[in-house]
Amino acid sequence: MSARTATRLALEADIWTIAAGTAVAQIAFATLVWLYGDSPRAMTMLMVEGTWGSAYGIGQVMFKATPLLFTGLAVHVGLRAGLFNVGAEGQLAVASLAVGAIGAWLPASTPALVAVPLLVVVAGCVGASWAAPAALLRAVGAHEVISTILLNRVAAALVGLLLGLGLAQKGAVRTPDVVPHARLARLDRLIPSFEGSAVSTAVLIGVATVAITLWILPRSRAGREQELVAKNDEACFVEGIPVAWRRAQALLVSGALAGLASLGTVLGYKGYYEQGLGAGAGFAGLAVAILGRGRLLGIVFAALLFGTLAQGGLAINAHVPAEVMEVIQGVVIVAVALGDARIRSWLTSKLVVLGAR
Amino acid sequence: MAVALRALSVDKRYGPTLAVSGASLALETGKIHAIVGENGAGKSTLASIATGLVRPDEGHVEVFGERLSPHTARAAIARGVGIVQQHFRLIDALSVLDNAMLGAEPVRSFGRIDREGARVKLERALAQLRAKLDPNARVSTLGVGDRQRLEIARVLFCEARVIVLDEPTAVLTPEDAHALYVTLRRLADDGRAIAVVTHKMDEVLDHADEVTVMRRGRVVSTRAVYRDGGRASNRGEQRRALLHDAFHDSDEASSVALPGAGDGDSQVLLEIDGLEAGVLQGARLEVRAREIVGLAGVDGNGQRELVDVLAGLREPSKGAVHAHAPIEIVHDDRQRRGLVLAASVADNAVLGELRRFSGVIGLDGGAIRNEAERRVHDGGVVPASIDLPASALSGGNQQKLVIARALARDDAGRRILVLAQPTRGVDINAARQIHRRIVDAAEAGAAVLVLSADLDELRVLCHRIVVITHGRMVGEALRDARGQWDESATNEKLGARMVAAR
Repeated sequence: MSARTATRLALEADIWTIAAGTAVAQIAFATLVWLYGDSPRAMTMLMVEGTWGSAYGIGQVMFKATPLLFTGLAVHVGLRAGLFNVGAEGQLAVASLAVGAIGAWLPASTPALVAVPLLVVVAGCVGASWAAPAALLRAVGAHEVISTILLNRVAAALVGLLLGLGLAQKGAVRTPDVVPHARLARLDRLIPSFEGSAVSTAVLIGVATVAITLWILPRSRAGREQELVAKNDEACFVEGIPVAWRRAQALLVSGALAGLASLGTVLGYKGYYEQGLGAGAGFAGLAVAILGRGRLLGIVFAALLFGTLAQGGLAINAHVPAEVMEVIQGVVIVAVALGDARIRSWLTSKLVVLGAR
Repeated sequence: MAVALRALSVDKRYGPTLAVSGASLALETGKIHAIVGENGAGKSTLASIATGLVRPDEGHVEVFGERLSPHTARAAIARGVGIVQQHFRLIDALSVLDNAMLGAEPVRSFGRIDREGARVKLERALAQLRAKLDPNARVSTLGVGDRQRLEIARVLFCEARVIVLDEPTAVLTPEDAHALYVTLRRLADDGRAIAVVTHKMDEVLDHADEVTVMRRGRVVSTRAVYRDGGRASNRGEQRRALLHDAFHDSDEASSVALPGAGDGDSQVLLEIDGLEAGVLQGARLEVRAREIVGLAGVDGNGQRELVDVLAGLREPSKGAVHAHAPIEIVHDDRQRRGLVLAASVADNAVLGELRRFSGVIGLDGGAIRNEAERRVHDGGVVPASIDLPASALSGGNQQKLVIARALARDDAGRRILVLAQPTRGVDINAARQIHRRIVDAAEAGAAVLVLSADLDELRVLCHRIVVITHGRMVGEALRDARGQWDESATNEKLGARMVAAR
């Protein structure tokens, strides 16, 4: 099989997954709206108009998709090393607080060329540090799903505590505004028809991050070995690959990427951090990673699909509760996850372990 | 005698490879039917199709005249067709009894598992096999030989009337292999149909009633083995016919020219000094440069511990290993410790060596591919496509890949090679290639330690054979100046040492 054929087949698979994801979402949407007693057709029209029907709508979809690009990539980096990082939520929350607090603490005159890269580093480092306990515990045998879930709860409590202890502005539950030059430009400055929508250059950074990371992973020793470890850790260990370190590395990188999602929420949107900003992006990242299957096109599409659902929910909120969209997200996740061989084998291995006890 | 199982012109394709093509097979009750052929000939695939594990693309299977439908392992088991696979399908964490009844648990009222009933059934099966296995022992504590006995017991547990065994004697001593065939004969005489996939022609001539030869996915011939009071008559002629069908090759005797080592003056590269670890009880051994030493033993007598200590995977509780050169290890369980089956042949060919290929701007993909191509080519791995997943290779070719990787590292002659079961489950041609490469390595200055239960292999390949029993070296056989083995090196004498009581 030539390299070109392989690329074509992979592209075909991408398109099929995308089509299937969209179809499942559409069927679930129509069924729910019908059950609710409204007209599926009218609601679909309304949703399409509110999302892909106008430049503003498209901008909003991209805005909603921005953090999902990062968290989806984060979860994928874990998955390809055989690890399920369920902690992107907590990693993002802690990183967002740090970005907000440090961004506000910087001298007001800090130029963008200093402030933005510095805050990118802060977001990555703090996100990784929140994955570090899970990475360490994995090395001694504790399962990363449990530890990352628990760390989400700790993150939520810690963020509230630190805001209360003085990181927040007086009389508010948010950090002060970050310095002006740390903010990422809204896209409507470049393309006026996005007028009013919150989409920022963070979406471009997101797509670039996904593309670059996916390009580097199979071309670096660490990235390649992480994938081999996922497939047979015993053979890797025997052949001298540092198995525990490769796993820890993957979790740390995953945490860092989850932390970078704060670029979209804190620097690209609000300009400060408040409790709950970006909440849900970490969990949605699981779905994006599974639907995206580690391909650039896949991850971008999956992020856009979930962005569409989120924005579409707002568009139909006057007629049908926006929570319908959360149900649809769940349906898409389950449907796509069951179609994914990685998830199936993971589930099977868990079931065998449970059955053996 | 009735036809118990029939496969009717079955085809099976894996990607671009036609694994089995228009193959037909008929197994009769009361007979032992051998399926022979070289690695990748499609024997295992045909066996898997016959037992419902693999669904054929074309053709179908009939069990006692009735079409197997749906074509699943469950349906096959329900009709009394069982398989013992080359790579064991056991759960380490469970006991012997749990494994035996897995999927076939006898139940009492309200679906409770009838453990006592199962135990009785298992003990009956074990008695038929003349196997002494503790039903409560954890499978993780069993050696390869006992695991295989358990696999066979499991098939009997399911009351199989057709039993297919894939390379069953690959890990057994000659005595155990003989005992296995005695058992199989008894099972056949009870009215079962037995099929054995193998490439050991002696076994076929000694024990089989019929033999099907496969080559490149096709059934080349099916013949009866003529015997005259036990021994096959016209043995040489029958053997030649089989080999001709399987290989177009009339010369089976594997003869490798040993390097003139083993002389006292070459340097000792590996010293094992009073090693104690688990079963190992003060193991002692020296291997010199240019010398090939065979370590003969029944599985579970300390070989695994020895290899683990040499590989640095385990600390000895006493004693020490002195290695005066880099050690390269080939473990016996290639699917768990040798290969990442889901990864490509290229990834496997350089497994653990990516450091060599990584520069400032990441991995040098071209260099990796070139090195992988070279190793695959040197090792004679077929098909020589480095982009296939390693799981697409046949067992023998997987082994060739593992050996090729080990031999390609530290090309600098002076090294230590520890090879556990290097030709297990590998056909004659492939084994010969592997032997030649081992001898070449020794010639270039390597000290080689080969662990095997196959005495014929050790006698061909080694300068010296050491027997290990209960974790101790209990005997040694040497060659004289003309390369002839001394009289203690007969299979019977070495075999007796291998199973000697403590």
